[in-house]
Amino acid sequence: MRSTGFTDIIKKSPFGPIQAHMEVSKLSTDELIIFLQAAINSNWEKAAQSRATISDLENQADTLKAETRSLLTKSIFLAVPREDILDLIKLADDIPNTVKDISGLMIGRKMEIPEQIASSFILFAKEAAAITDAAAEAVDYIDDLFQFSFGGNAATKMQQLLQKLDSLENKNDQSEITLRSELFTIERDLPPVNVIFLYDIINKIGELSDRAEQVGHRISLIASR
Amino acid sequence: MEVIILYGPYLLFSGCVFGFFMAWGIGANDVANAMGTSVGARALTLSQAILVACIFEFAGAYLAGGEVTSTIRKGIIDPELLADSPDLLVFGMMASLLAAGTWLLIASFKGWPVSTTHSIVGAIVGFAAVGISVDAVSWSKVSSIISSWIVSPLMAGIISFLIFRSVQNLILNTEHPFDNAKKYVPVYMFLVGFVISMVTLLKGLKHVGLSLNFQESLIYSILIGVGISLLGSLFLRRVKNTPQVRGDVVFDGVEKVFAVLMVFTACAMAFAHGSNDVANAVGPLAAIANVIQSGGQVAAQSTMPWWILLLGGVGIVSGLAMLGYRVIETVGRNITELTPSRGFAAELAAATTVVLASGTGLPISTTHTLVGAVLGVGLARGLSAIDLSVVGRIIISWVITLPVGAGLSIIFFFVLKGIFS
Repeated sequence: MRSTGFTDIIKKSPFGPIQAHMEVSKLSTDELIIFLQAAINSNWEKAAQSRATISDLENQADTLKAETRSLLTKSIFLAVPREDILDLIKLADDIPNTVKDISGLMIGRKMEIPEQIASSFILFAKEAAAITDAAAEAVDYIDDLFQFSFGGNAATKMQQLLQKLDSLENKNDQSEITLRSELFTIERDLPPVNVIFLYDIINKIGELSDRAEQVGHRISLIASR
Repeated sequence: MEVIILYGPYLLFSGCVFGFFMAWGIGANDVANAMGTSVGARALTLSQAILVACIFEFAGAYLAGGEVTSTIRKGIIDPELLADSPDLLVFGMMASLLAAGTWLLIASFKGWPVSTTHSIVGAIVGFAAVGISVDAVSWSKVSSIISSWIVSPLMAGIISFLIFRSVQNLILNTEHPFDNAKKYVPVYMFLVGFVISMVTLLKGLKHVGLSLNFQESLIYSILIGVGISLLGSLFLRRVKNTPQVRGDVVFDGVEKVFAVLMVFTACAMAFAHGSNDVANAVGPLAAIANVIQSGGQVAAQSTMPWWILLLGGVGIVSGLAMLGYRVIETVGRNITELTPSRGFAAELAAATTVVLASGTGLPISTTHTLVGAVLGVGLARGLSAIDLSVVGRIIISWVITLPVGAGLSIIFFFVLKGIFS
């Protein structure tokens, strides 16, 4: 005998897979740093290994994105607007995708990072990874926020995290400017095609931190309703 | 008339068997929805839930089940109209039990969300309107029952919404949720005791030798409420804050406080369920017993034989003990998302609504009321995801149950009539 279907009314929270997704994004940006270090050292064998890990993480992220979406069928009534969660997962999924793009582009062209900008370059990428970490942390607190009805300690913590996110993003913008000016001063001495691609990579890393920041803002929107 | 005199004891005996089986089915299946919430929230273990359900289902059935039973027995059809043919009333009620039982059996195998209450009401209306005459049905009563089926989930939803909102404002969404929970949870405990006892006492407990007026009922209910609240505070004293540290943030272990509260709301839920749903099994049986014991008289004024409520109570408890625990386990496993702070709000709202309906003699569906209550918590943003398509499925099955119950009971009615005449 089965029960009368009453329990079917309560569904699994979509936040679980979103949190897992952000965890994967975090791993993927961390791996990007390892990849970039290897590229700077021209250790293409190690870079290829890293690239494989990144690809693998991107696949995991896709699965989690699909899982999240499958929990968000039209008949589901959620504590937070469905559109916000769909937006959130879409933004979040850009992170591992962009990481994969960056690594793919660099490995395909065996791109060398000029020594003069290497330290600024790696700092810039590390900051982008830190923003992703902060965004993942914010996503991690959704459960607590929800348990305590969007108030109390969880809300305070969320506000702190979002402030941290903003300041990280500001710092990252500064680093981008520094990196670009450093590249500008040496760009004459480099093959032009390589320079174009270097700018492209810088753009993409900038995109990475933008996405992570947008994830954070989406969370704050969800939290403030 | 001769049929009654000739076959009376056999008819009564088979009525008892059908009624008992029906009560057994309610215990095996229906109770799970009432108790599963508490098991799912881990406020009660499975064996504790069974114990609570046995005691309070029985108490609800015996102490507060009379009004609804009398509605089923003599509210839907006017027994006066059948004064000349009491055998038809007996056949009809037997047919109704058989029809509802058959339909519930089919539905539980298919996993359809079907209500016992709707089946039995549909069955009684069916045999009376077609088998006897359209005028035999008290349509005003039937329409008030049907509107109560719409009102009860709505009411439970509104109550649970308000309860959960108060929990948010007074406890969860504050600086010190644990301290506030300890402060306010006894108030909710008072409400549980007060509401349940007030309705039960007001409705009357004459059959256990207790006759109280409104003021006495009020005073006793307040005393019971305070008593429960004090008992609860005693349990709460042992609950220590077990904060959870996540990163650099400390979260109060507030759910443990609600888990204690949920033990009380689970009792209330079992009581409410017993008070309303036992009637589905024993109401028709009471009608049969009345006719046969009076030797073929259809007397509307006759008193309710209380041993019948006892039989129903025992039926529910044995169904629960034999099969119900498995269903409770399944239900509990499926609703882990309903934490004690949410579950108690849903249970308290549903129990209040059901007990109120029991007091006014309206047979409603406990499960549907609980669904309404869960939706209320969801609307107050207490649940992260709720599937509204299930609500649609429940409404469809509710609409289908009425004609199917009616159709089956018409068939059984004519079969029985054919056999005995």
